[in-house]
Amino acid sequence: MTTAALTAGLERIPDQLGYLVISEDGVLASAGELENDEHTAGVMMQMVRTASRFRLPGSADPPFKRMSVILEDFVYTVTVSGQKVFVVKRHNNQHEPISV
Amino acid sequence: MGCCYSSENETPSQDPDESKPLIPHPNPVSKPPNGTDWITTSVPSARTDEQALLTSILTKTAQNIIDVSAADSVMMEQHEYMDKARQYSTKLAVLSTSLPQKKALALPSLTSQPHQVLASDLVPYSDVQQVGKIAAYAYSAISQIKVDAKEDLVVQFAIP
Repeated sequence: MTTAALTAGLERIPDQLGYLVISEDGVLASAGELENDEHTAGVMMQMVRTASRFRLPGSADPPFKRMSVILEDFVYTVTVSGQKVFVVKRHNNQHEPISV
Repeated sequence: MGCCYSSENETPSQDPDESKPLIPHPNPVSKPPNGTDWITTSVPSARTDEQALLTSILTKTAQNIIDVSAADSVMMEQHEYMDKARQYSTKLAVLSTSLPQKKALALPSLTSQPHQVLASDLVPYSDVQQVGKIAAYAYSAISQIKVDAKEDLVVQFAIP
């Protein structure tokens, strides 16, 4: 898959503020608020490595498809496919419901 | 008192070394203090059983002890030591070239459709809130685990 093919779909994600495509060797592609953000790339790589070590009993695969790092105004959604880590920064439009 | 004989009769098959007490009894056929009238026919055999049990416990304990001071007697010559060190390092060098370098854990494949996974709806706020609550409970529970010391960890055995 070429880099353009990898990122084309990411551009169309609703509310996306930026993205990163990372391989074992480093950042392959970046855009928006995450453009050239090596620091975030490193942190996300470590987090996804740590998370993927968790296993449910009797299961060989990591028990999740996507990791969400939820902050007040935005969310980092992370997944791994074909030895590449995809990070998309999305606007968090969900807020604490006002309790009446 | 048939104490002495009954002891021999009950353990005829035992190795003499095994039944030999580690700490010799000062007076093996000692009578209970005078003036005690609790000696009935059943007491000597109970006492013998107790002693046999004690002896077997002592023997087992002795077998499990690793005498570190005795290991010093097997001294290794300086050149033997060097030879062994060389032998081990040669072996290691051979093995390390044949073994593949252990890489950092390979990334697992979480999905074959990354774009769909990333574009799907965000986790509902209520779910996040619930997970946060559960984590807070778990943290609180773990922080309340404590050791309640009731008795000494190290006790002295009453060995005469």
